[in-house]
Amino acid sequence: MLRFTLERLVGMVITMALVSVMVFIIMEIPPGDYADRYAFRKYSGTGVNVTQADIEAIRADLGLDKPMVLRYLDWIGGIVLRGDFGQAFAFETSVVKVIGDKGFLTLGILFATLLVTYMISIPVGIFAAVKRASAMDYGLTIFSYMGLALPNFLLALLMLYFASRWFGADIGGLFSEAYADAPWSLAKVWDLVKHLWLPAFVLAWSAVAYQIQTMRATMSDELNKLSVTAARARGVPEMKLLVKYPARLAINPVVSTIGFDVNRIFSELPIVAVVLGLTELGELLLKAYLDLDMYVAGAILLLLTFIIVFMNFVSDLLLAWLDPRIKLGA
Amino acid sequence: MLKVDNLTISFRTDEGLITPVQDVSFEVKAGRTLGIVGESGSGKSVSTKALMRLLPGNALVSPDARMAYVNKAGETVNVESLKPNSRALRQLRGGEIGMIFQEPMASFSPVYTIGNQMIEAIRLHRKASKKEAREIAIDMLDRVGISNASARVDQYPHELSGGMRQRAMIALALSAGPALLIADEPTTALDVTIQAQVLELMGDLQRDLGMGMIFITHDLGVIAQVADDVVVMYLGKIVERGATAEVIRNPRHPYTQGLLKAIPSLDTLHDRLSPVPGDIPSPTERPSGCPFHTRCGQMRAGQCDVVEPPEVQLGEGRAVRCWLDAEVSQSAKLEIPA
Amino acid sequence: MTDVSPEQLSAEEKKRLKYYSASQWTLIWWRFRRHKAAMVAVMILGLMALSGIFAEFVAPYGTTTRDTSYLDGAPQIPKFCDQNGCSIQPFIHGVSTKRDPITLRAISVPDPEKRVYVTFFAKGEPVKVLGLIATDRHLFGLSDPKAKLHLWGTDDLGRDVFSRTIYATRVSLSIGVIGVMISFVLALIIGGVAGYAGGVIDNVIQRVTEVIRVVPIIPLYMGLAAAMPKEWSTTQVYFAMTLILGLFGWPTLARRIRSQLLSIRNEDYVVAARLAGARPTRIISRHMLPSFTSFIIVDLVISFPYMILSETALSFVGLGLRPPTVSWGVLLQQAQSVRVIEQTPWLFIPAVFVVVAVLAFTVIGDGLRDAADPYSDSH
Repeated sequence: MLRFTLERLVGMVITMALVSVMVFIIMEIPPGDYADRYAFRKYSGTGVNVTQADIEAIRADLGLDKPMVLRYLDWIGGIVLRGDFGQAFAFETSVVKVIGDKGFLTLGILFATLLVTYMISIPVGIFAAVKRASAMDYGLTIFSYMGLALPNFLLALLMLYFASRWFGADIGGLFSEAYADAPWSLAKVWDLVKHLWLPAFVLAWSAVAYQIQTMRATMSDELNKLSVTAARARGVPEMKLLVKYPARLAINPVVSTIGFDVNRIFSELPIVAVVLGLTELGELLLKAYLDLDMYVAGAILLLLTFIIVFMNFVSDLLLAWLDPRIKLGA
Repeated sequence: MLKVDNLTISFRTDEGLITPVQDVSFEVKAGRTLGIVGESGSGKSVSTKALMRLLPGNALVSPDARMAYVNKAGETVNVESLKPNSRALRQLRGGEIGMIFQEPMASFSPVYTIGNQMIEAIRLHRKASKKEAREIAIDMLDRVGISNASARVDQYPHELSGGMRQRAMIALALSAGPALLIADEPTTALDVTIQAQVLELMGDLQRDLGMGMIFITHDLGVIAQVADDVVVMYLGKIVERGATAEVIRNPRHPYTQGLLKAIPSLDTLHDRLSPVPGDIPSPTERPSGCPFHTRCGQMRAGQCDVVEPPEVQLGEGRAVRCWLDAEVSQSAKLEIPA
Repeated sequence: MTDVSPEQLSAEEKKRLKYYSASQWTLIWWRFRRHKAAMVAVMILGLMALSGIFAEFVAPYGTTTRDTSYLDGAPQIPKFCDQNGCSIQPFIHGVSTKRDPITLRAISVPDPEKRVYVTFFAKGEPVKVLGLIATDRHLFGLSDPKAKLHLWGTDDLGRDVFSRTIYATRVSLSIGVIGVMISFVLALIIGGVAGYAGGVIDNVIQRVTEVIRVVPIIPLYMGLAAAMPKEWSTTQVYFAMTLILGLFGWPTLARRIRSQLLSIRNEDYVVAARLAGARPTRIISRHMLPSFTSFIIVDLVISFPYMILSETALSFVGLGLRPPTVSWGVLLQQAQSVRVIEQTPWLFIPAVFVVVAVLAFTVIGDGLRDAADPYSDSH
């Protein structure tokens, strides 16, 4: 087990190193030097005449004149050694400060979404497989097709519409007005929880549909296995039988795709955030790119990818713990 | 201890109703072994699944079927009328009737240790603490010839060899203390040498524990080693029955004769084996008349392919279902429709 | 078996003979044909594709043609009867412009006395179908060329939603097709090399695939999209977008091809072919590819929704295609708020297209998967 964990850990580090190179290259793509924009922003309207020399000075000041490899090493070294993601130019403060709370909010949304996803899809998928070809099963099939086909930003719009129509409530955002800028308190956390269910449900929408299908398919396969018949022939009560034998194995594909679900959630988050008016990483990312604030943008992309890679690692470990055959093969 | 009468089983499928078991009756006596022989598709496994009420949802058992089982307490249980998920049915499964399957790997769940699955079975049917159940499990593993049982009990199925797994499967089925053991081709997937060991082990255990046994196989040679009585099935019908020695010495049905000729032996090493010719017909296309007529070398046109022969008693527990048998033909000739 | 000439066979036997001798693809087609939902999906997609290809002819108006007398107008449903009786030819009521008595703004009021008939092959704007055939005929229109028929209403600028949706269908579907093609070619090369070469090459390729696979596509795309020069033409943006979607869409398919190749490499029949002295090209083309082409096709079909949904989502938040190009996502940009659902719900019609197209691809994928599985048939 220890060896297996170490191997996966090394794999994770290699992947992250490659990802960081790719992220850095993407950060370099935007045309136009940040120094130009910085100078423009800083001096426009002040009547100061900006010369090429001034811009060069800013460039040297920000370290933008070094070769690319050196800048990469500076950047990644700061992140790994000091947790320093560099300066957020547009905000004139550090990237860590800009991201700050929003990182935790994103994690909150992520875990709420994963919770909703698995709490719905695993039991429902088991149920659909056991009651195969029932009206319930067909209903679920149609639902899961809708889950795949209805983009969740449209779902978000529809939910906002019906909420305002039936409850006269505006359910967008992550906080009520009263708490938006208030310092953290229990009441504020509770307010967040009350607002979190909607984005969590909207983001879970397609993952639920997808995982119900996976769960139903693998559960149907597992139900037909001889080991299940054999356990039944030993007199194991039906409910215990379902949970202990087929379901225990049927969740493996779900566990192994946790990273995939996280990836999908992060992909959909910026779009859903626009509709639901959530002030979290997705929107910040967009703004950072539009401002050519490459340190903020790179940090966000790197953090999101790191969470995905880490969740992949967790899912590998979970899988090895769930299925004793894997340890032997590793 | 077990008497089955008029058992007919059908399945609803996309191609319509197919009936893999038709009007089957047999009896298992306490402490004795009944062998059921037949090719795949003859309905031998399906009948025993019905005994454990393990048939899938699309299966129909005829309403006049009777499966009377006398349990360890001496009460008669009508298996066909037990409620699904009832206590009585769960007690019957495992506690009264144990079952072992052809694929020892597939019949264990791969994610639990051998001990976990044995302890579960023991505690379902015997009053035992976890610790006691573990002792019983180790004792049983030891008994089926698994060395170092106290270590093996914590191993996973994939860590055992094929023969070991089948021994463990037998231990698992026996650990709950059943009075009747159904063995569904338990040796087919094993090497010949291990096959012989397992057969010997099963015979010993049966004698020691005084169990009844139903032994399903397609190999008459195996039957000769283990069974006291035998029924031969073809396309869901019993075509011949009797004491094993009697049936093997003097087979009456052409199908039984064919199965016997297909057994290789040292005496006939230089002769060609003569298996039963042709293929077993698809279950959706049952032949008319005697189901075996399409493959029978002695088929009588106009008789065998038109009317199904009745089962004729030839003595105590001995019967055959064939027009060729002289006694049968003569007694039944009058009944043939013009 | 004895030789039997075909004439001696009964009709039933002929049917069987045909079944047993049919090729893999014929069998798949026969099984697919029985899948009713998938056949309906094929027809719907076919219809969408055709109307997209011939958008100039099918759409009565251009994407930027404005009808200032009918802003934010509701869909006009042709009818056969009104208070003045019935007609065989469907018609709509004409519109007269009046002033609002209170605000004095010009508003359009339907005039129930004025009938304008709907005709097929009506004269309208001159267009070039497929960029080749010049015509001023459209699939349908109104008998009075000055009046305009808005089947699905208009937006705030008075542009015809039906026409814009038809043109958008062309753009959105074509992004799917080109994106899937790019992914497919990349996946075939990358997965093929990894799967056939194995060893170190495979290991390196696996690492790179993993990197592309873990980066969330939309945040990544957001970065790349922001990097696109603002002065790029809509065509350049269109191609850049398709290219990016295609460039990041291959890992799943490449993994599939790789693992199939790796598992088949040691199958008995491939080893047998190798021992028999067959050349590698023959082994790949005759023995390895046919065993999983059908699965690749299934994977291709089900990767269309991914492309279409990505395009829609990105254009929806203004990062994808830009007006005046119309795609389903661009059209839905106009429908970002709850107010729109309340006041001009017909602007959501493009969403129905997205849902239907994605559903259709998914259903076809499922149907193909069932049809391609040799064990799904119980004969």
